[in-house]
Amino acid sequence: MSALDVEIQLLAVVVAVACALPGVFLVLRRLALMSDAISHSILLGIVLAFFWVQDLAHPLLVLAATATGVITVALVEALHRTRRVKEDAAIALVFPALFSVAVLLIARYAGSVHLDVDAVLLGEIAFSPFRRLEVAGMDLGPRSLWLMSAILVLNVAALAVFWKELKVSTFDAGLAAAMGFSPALIHYGFMGLVSVTAVGAFDAVGSILVVALMIAPPAAAWLLTDRLPVMVVLSGALAAFSAVAGFWAARAIDASIAGSMAAMAGVVFLAAILFAPHRGVVAGIRRRARQRLDFARTMLMVHLLNHEGGARARVENQMGHLQEHLQWSPDFARRVVRRAERQGLLERQSGGRLRLTPLGREEARHRMVR
Amino acid sequence: MIRRESGAPVPAIEVNDLTVAYGEQPVLWDIDLTIRQGVLTAIVGPNGAGKTTLIKAILELVPRAAGRVEVLGRPYRDARGEVAYVPQRGSVDWDFPTSVLDVVLMGTYGRLGWIRRPGRRERREAMQALEKVGMEAFADRQISQLSGGQQQRVFLARALVQEARIHLMDEPFQGVDARTEKAIVEVLRELRARGDTVVCVHHALQTVREYFDEVALLNVRMIAAGPVDEAFTEPNLRLAYGGRVPFLQGVTGFEAPGGGP
Repeated sequence: MSALDVEIQLLAVVVAVACALPGVFLVLRRLALMSDAISHSILLGIVLAFFWVQDLAHPLLVLAATATGVITVALVEALHRTRRVKEDAAIALVFPALFSVAVLLIARYAGSVHLDVDAVLLGEIAFSPFRRLEVAGMDLGPRSLWLMSAILVLNVAALAVFWKELKVSTFDAGLAAAMGFSPALIHYGFMGLVSVTAVGAFDAVGSILVVALMIAPPAAAWLLTDRLPVMVVLSGALAAFSAVAGFWAARAIDASIAGSMAAMAGVVFLAAILFAPHRGVVAGIRRRARQRLDFARTMLMVHLLNHEGGARARVENQMGHLQEHLQWSPDFARRVVRRAERQGLLERQSGGRLRLTPLGREEARHRMVR
Repeated sequence: MIRRESGAPVPAIEVNDLTVAYGEQPVLWDIDLTIRQGVLTAIVGPNGAGKTTLIKAILELVPRAAGRVEVLGRPYRDARGEVAYVPQRGSVDWDFPTSVLDVVLMGTYGRLGWIRRPGRRERREAMQALEKVGMEAFADRQISQLSGGQQQRVFLARALVQEARIHLMDEPFQGVDARTEKAIVEVLRELRARGDTVVCVHHALQTVREYFDEVALLNVRMIAAGPVDEAFTEPNLRLAYGGRVPFLQGVTGFEAPGGGP
């Protein structure tokens, strides 16, 4: 692994984790789509600031872009407040407008500089290490690694310091407001954080993939835990994993690193939604299958109890009879009987006759009176 | 009890000429309401009468078009620490990844102010509040696993740790089981016994007389307010609920027209 590879992976991990942290609260606040809006409209801020200072590395670009992000949020809310459009429509109206102005400006006036539409959409993480930060002739490493690390530290600090404010205003905005924690202040502060993060990540992974890195790891983490601190840590871990796995996947198939990172984040989410212990699809299917078996077992025991000692018990309580009377397939009947047997609720006698054990009899009575 | 210099007790909540409108549509018209300290008051009225809006206007959660609200003789923003708020249970997302104890601890946030975190003392208070509502066994439970009644008791515990003297509750009895209803009533009486003021948005007319001392009948305008015996009458209910009164038969607790309670 070359030094270049290490630098790229390090940057990828820092970008992914920095995005996932605010992503947790975006997902919890049902604002996932707002990240899409912000990550696109910040381009306008970048372009306008670039025309002003004529330098792509100028700090003013970050400031202007962040401001555009926050303005986007304000515009969406203003439009929503008119009650003429719903919030999702407001988002869909505002950010393409700002983004398209930026794209037109680039195409018309910035054709000669390094600011092309491909880079805007997908980023150029593989080239990031070539832009170095030099102080007094000393090479301090990739410039974007410094910028992103600073943003990561900012995000960690903001979450740590305003943890309880973010939590209460997300869970119960009314209570937060009644207690004097201005939800508007918290909301715009948080959206500012999202904007700064999107601006920083923009350079590395572009405006579309930022969204994947912000939303997929927290969405996956939410399926795996029901504790907020665990969700935050898990989101960071899944994001870091997606970054490294994405890098090597890109290497293996010779494809875009950013694209493959986002794809990995998607794979992680897919795995979570399928295999999460409680909330996963597979767990849900197994739970329903178990419930069906349990119910069938209870039904069988009640059936046995009803006919126990009766004149027709010999016929009714016969293994082969279940298919006919309860309309069960032979296979299903066998599984139900085996389950009840294992639980010590009934026993099989000679000739395929079924008999409740004392425990089974008690259980059946209990279920019937309930 | 907080008193004026003259010795007269300050009202817990004083609402004067309050109007709230969403756009052009008035939700509350020129409301006057005085809520005395140390009593249990029900706010009653049909759907869309503005009951929740009245609570929110007192808490400055919705903008006022006109009017004045004072809490213990001060603007709400200067009396925040004296007021606990129990929103409607349905107003929050119970899938939020957190535990019962954590939700109760949120009640201490207002007193802690910005940045400071709850510590051992707050944790102990939260546990005590959970015991009061019979939910101490659920402290570590994920909140999505609670029944409606249990959720309501958690909200009540959260209000208790706010250490307030005035409690504004939005439909605390909505959709709860009998056990929870009893627990809530007990807590309300305990609060009154120590001199606290409770204002509940309330739906079940048949329990107004049993649970509350005073009632405010609301339907965009204030129809009547005062002690239950005086204000909770059939004519007033008829005014508040319009023509839809057949279900009101008998709920006011009067035996015969004109007869006293």
